[in-house]
Amino acid sequence: MDVSTFLVQSLNSVQYGFLLFLVASGLTLIFGILGVINLAHGSFFMIGAYLAHWLALKTGNLFVAIALGLPLSFLLGLAVERLAIGFLYARDHLYQVLLTYGLILIFNELQRILWGNDVHGVPTPAALSASIPLTEAQSYPVYRFFISLACLGVAAAMYLVINRTKLGMLIRAGASNREMVELLGFGVKRLYAVVFALGAALTAFAGMLSAPVNSVYPGMGEHVLIISFVVVVIGGLGSIQGAFVGAMLIGFVDTFGKVFLPEAASLSVYAFMAAVLLWRPQGLFGVRPA
Amino acid sequence: MTEALLETRGLSKHFGGLAAVSDVSLAFEAGRVHAVIGPNGAGKTTFLNLLSGEMRPSAGSVWFKDRAITGLTPDRVARLGIGRSFQRTNVFTELTCFENCWIAAQSRLPSSLRFLRPANRRSDLAASAARSLEMCGLLARRDHAASALSHGERRQLEIAMILATEPELLLFDEPLAGMGYRESQDVIALLRRIAEKRTIVLIEHDMDAVFSIAHRITVLVNGCVLETGSVSEIQGSRAVQAAYLGAEDEP
Amino acid sequence: MRPLSRPLLVLLLVIVALLVAFPQLAERYYVQLATKMMIMGIFAMSLDLLVGYTRLVSLGHAAFFGLAGYALAVLQRDLGLVSLWTTLPLTLGICALVALLVGALAIRTSGIYFIMVTLAIAQMLYYFANDTRALGGSDGMFIGAKPSAEVFGLELFDLKNRVTFYYFALGALVASFFLARMVLASLFGRVIDAIRCNEPRTRALGFTTWRYKLAMFAIAGMLAGLAGYIGAAQDGIVNPAYLSWHQSGQALVIVILGGMGTLYGPVVGAFVLIALEDVAAGITEHWLLFIGVFVIAVVLLLPRGIASLPIVEMLGRLRRGGTPPPRPIPEAGDD
Repeated sequence: MDVSTFLVQSLNSVQYGFLLFLVASGLTLIFGILGVINLAHGSFFMIGAYLAHWLALKTGNLFVAIALGLPLSFLLGLAVERLAIGFLYARDHLYQVLLTYGLILIFNELQRILWGNDVHGVPTPAALSASIPLTEAQSYPVYRFFISLACLGVAAAMYLVINRTKLGMLIRAGASNREMVELLGFGVKRLYAVVFALGAALTAFAGMLSAPVNSVYPGMGEHVLIISFVVVVIGGLGSIQGAFVGAMLIGFVDTFGKVFLPEAASLSVYAFMAAVLLWRPQGLFGVRPA
Repeated sequence: MTEALLETRGLSKHFGGLAAVSDVSLAFEAGRVHAVIGPNGAGKTTFLNLLSGEMRPSAGSVWFKDRAITGLTPDRVARLGIGRSFQRTNVFTELTCFENCWIAAQSRLPSSLRFLRPANRRSDLAASAARSLEMCGLLARRDHAASALSHGERRQLEIAMILATEPELLLFDEPLAGMGYRESQDVIALLRRIAEKRTIVLIEHDMDAVFSIAHRITVLVNGCVLETGSVSEIQGSRAVQAAYLGAEDEP
Repeated sequence: MRPLSRPLLVLLLVIVALLVAFPQLAERYYVQLATKMMIMGIFAMSLDLLVGYTRLVSLGHAAFFGLAGYALAVLQRDLGLVSLWTTLPLTLGICALVALLVGALAIRTSGIYFIMVTLAIAQMLYYFANDTRALGGSDGMFIGAKPSAEVFGLELFDLKNRVTFYYFALGALVASFFLARMVLASLFGRVIDAIRCNEPRTRALGFTTWRYKLAMFAIAGMLAGLAGYIGAAQDGIVNPAYLSWHQSGQALVIVILGGMGTLYGPVVGAFVLIALEDVAAGITEHWLLFIGVFVIAVVLLLPRGIASLPIVEMLGRLRRGGTPPPRPIPEAGDD
């Protein structure tokens, strides 16, 4: 493999890793704070992508679409939390899995009703559609840099919120001691709703960002969901660090796996997961259960 | 002089800078009841954990029937014939008393990976379970779920479960904790019955109980052995009284 | 595992009798549908062994369902084996072996990780089947011939006949039910009971619990393989959808709908859900939407399943929600 290909694939890995990080951190936040495993998490990725497609069509501008889509996703997250997720706190994971599975079915069918079975594309915004030359032969799309930068920005913002704000403090407290937060009188219900909606919005944002690069198609949420499960298993549930490290690792394993073993492309990620589990069943940053 | 069934040599356990158990060398004779007492925080439960394999020692060794068992996992230790009760009662609350003792008895089989023959054909296991329930006075409750038992009865069920494994050596961690007078008397009588044919190492705070059933007593203070002796020796010891006057004991 | 009470046993026998009589009265389409229900019943029972009896929530159980279908297809196409008496044991053996491998990895985890890992592994098999041309890729493979029940040149029964196939599936369902109960009543089953109630305590008793969980995982995988074998034989085709997580998800829904930890509950659940899907699909192409709502309703309103409905509970001391009920204090004169 020559240097330029290596560079391109590395950049792709990082970009993919960042997207996965957004999705996985939402999943791990929701599980870590709310104690809920949300199978429909991937559906928000799909919702983000379809919102980007639809709003970009309507407004002709992807940035406007994202600016509109984000608050919409947040509100949708709030609604889903109130109407469905709220029944799952402190319930057995089995029932959480089943109920959110039902949600997936509903979201998928709603998507089909609204937008049909076709595959759609979202055009890259004109401002970002150029390519930057990396070497003499290779250039790299600006938009992909934009994705990585946007995700990096979100990650930094998340870090600041979690470590420097009151909301973040409540989140951290809620992660380690739910009852205490409740006892102290903070509106736990509202906190949960906000955390869930944030997780949903994060994932939707990833979906919106990646829409120009991947296509928008029915059932796209499932693929992302399962990969994000792999990320979280590797990184350790409840750990944002773990989500980051896991996402980056998967980004590289998947991208380079496809390059080196095109026939077994999809398998490399799962083989990697198996290897990590054999070594550390609780994930890299997870806590070993008693 | 009966042989030591269980022996510790220089047994120690440190947690960071804290020495929970320090250089404890004791011999427990077969067929005797040996009580380990001491003020709170003296390291008694830690000591028991080291014996039963729940914890690995930082130093020293444990010998059972002249065989080193230091660092063996709890299930290996259990298989060697050492049964142990815990401070917090931990029974199978959803199973009946009989089923609780049954599964305890079954644990002694070399392998339970038997898939086709009905379990209830094993009359030996049924007999073992019934025997232990009877010894503990729970035979009348055999088909009641463990969740329906009172606290004292659950403690008795735990003891029955240990008996169903037919151990040679029993380790009891505060079997009388949290019991009222009448329940305690029942359990003390039970312990006496058990002690007739087995070896017991007993941690207890209830001094009346200790003095009435123990043959030998070891006093632990701050993880070290202060004194070991017969009941009268310990009762008369000034050092022991001094150790207890500092940290108040309770019946 | 609790023994079946007499009224319940009678009810089950009545249902079996009805199932026996059914093909004589019903149209072809419904015979086929009922066969499918029975296949899903076996599949759901196998999942119940894991979910209801061992508390192992697998979201990847379709891996064995689909694996069996592919095994049958490959055995037929590449090894030319058509006999039921060779392909079925071989398929079951393959499923057991793969289950041991998968389980050895998955059982290292517990709780929510286990759910995610089983899902991920099943997806891996899905992508493998989907991407491998030798396995037909996304189109899958044909199973040209129904397995032949010939023994020494004498055909015992003809699976090409729809009604015969139905009885074959029914026989498999009844046999699986009794076999599963036998396993649960064995010494092994007692340990599984204990693990379900209190795994740390079971370990403290000296049992190496992961071995028992792994064994159960293999048994459940094999039983799912039986269902997949019959299912693929019925359809004459196998494709990646048999391995999909929707197949796994549907099975989980059926187990909960029927009532986990009962074995017969999931069978009833299979009949109910497939009937529901059949009716809904006839009404609208977006029937999955209603199934989704139905699933949510079941979780919120009937979490312990059909087997916990008052009328069913009235029939005797039954398992609720997978945990053995506390035995009522026996009245004088009992036993």
